[in-house]
Amino acid sequence: MAGFEILDPTVEPRKQALTYVPRPGSLQGKRIGLVENTKFNSDKLLAKVGEILKKEYGAAEYKMWRKHNSSVPAHDEIIDEAKRGVDCVVAGVGD
Amino acid sequence: MTNQLASKRFVVEDLNHAIEFCYQQGWTDGLPVVPPTERAVRAMLDAAGLEPDKQVAFITNRQVAVSAEKIAVNAVMAGCLPEYMPVVVAAIEGIADPKWGYHGPATSTGGAAVLMIVNGPIAARLGFNSGDNLFGPGWRANATTGRAVRLVMRNVIGTVPGALDRGTVGHPGKYSYVIAENEAESPWTPFHVERGFKPEQSVVTVMAAEGPHQFYNQLSSTAKGVLTSLCDDMKHHASTNGQPQYVVALAGEHMRTIAKDGWSKADIQRFVFENTQNSLAHIKRVERLAGAVTPADETTMRPLVPSPEDVHVIAAGGRAGAFSCYIPAWAGGKKSSQSVSKLIQDRRA
Repeated sequence: MAGFEILDPTVEPRKQALTYVPRPGSLQGKRIGLVENTKFNSDKLLAKVGEILKKEYGAAEYKMWRKHNSSVPAHDEIIDEAKRGVDCVVAGVGD
Repeated sequence: MTNQLASKRFVVEDLNHAIEFCYQQGWTDGLPVVPPTERAVRAMLDAAGLEPDKQVAFITNRQVAVSAEKIAVNAVMAGCLPEYMPVVVAAIEGIADPKWGYHGPATSTGGAAVLMIVNGPIAARLGFNSGDNLFGPGWRANATTGRAVRLVMRNVIGTVPGALDRGTVGHPGKYSYVIAENEAESPWTPFHVERGFKPEQSVVTVMAAEGPHQFYNQLSSTAKGVLTSLCDDMKHHASTNGQPQYVVALAGEHMRTIAKDGWSKADIQRFVFENTQNSLAHIKRVERLAGAVTPADETTMRPLVPSPEDVHVIAAGGRAGAFSCYIPAWAGGKKSSQSVSKLIQDRRA
């Protein structure tokens, strides 16, 4: 064999179709869910976001949940309650 | 002979070009790797009794299946001997376990490495160091098995530093962080036996972990004295903010001093649990917890870990010297990550 043959240690990323829920045209009268990631002041920041969404965008109300820890996904209770009780969710990582 | 290998192949001019090619592809941890040839990869698979397409683990949050072939390729690159392969496979099974919770410790700014503790007869058979220079260089088994796990994390799972691995400071254990328990000289029950395995089984335990913190006590000749120094250091170390578990590795002199007083591992765990608690007042004063200090905070104690069993005591380290160490787990809480022990299996027929 001419040359030196080596094998690829990596894998091709698995292709997966992701579908986003359609975004609402307006937040008027919508119920907002806020997912707090437990980092210091994330609850205060999200409460401000909730107030802005109410005052400036006409959202009806907001509800906040706290994850177990910043490094884990929102747990099932949060997902179940969000499905039943809110129209939109604001989540993110604040560090 | 195992089945066809699925990996893409690259042909380069010679060995030196192959080493540089691996760098250019971003496949290394910064050190040169052994270019993975088919022959070497097959030897790795055969030594573990694994078909190349066998799925060893699935990392849910990345939606990545980790095959035996890809582990073997990375183990060759890391410099493993073929007989190390079952150890690497068991460690990959460990970090893919939901209890270990791959996503948090692999990506967190907290900068955890994968601490591997090898127990059972395989440790001595393969030459894993459990003594002098416990975390130091010079032992192929320690240096390459942990490196192989890290290369799998990088090349297969995509945990690339600066991209998906966002450790703020990290630590050198991210190259390799592997020790064995000194079962031959230990007066105590081996760690894997405490975890429910048989003494004759070989086991690797993985824990998402910060670097080792060395402590010193040359003064005391009692178990209580040595462990009091340990506890004073542990309870005030810089990350006392919710570490779910710790490893305490007691080296020769301390091990003998503590054993002389008749203390078991359970006694050590209880003592450490009771003597590493901080008052809420202290935690607030050092700005690790928000809020004003209340009178009740002065007497409200917060344990370092949820239970005494979360202090994993092992015998390891050099025979001489009044030093031992403790290793904090990654600070995510037990719901995010905890140590996992996996059987090292010989799958050859």
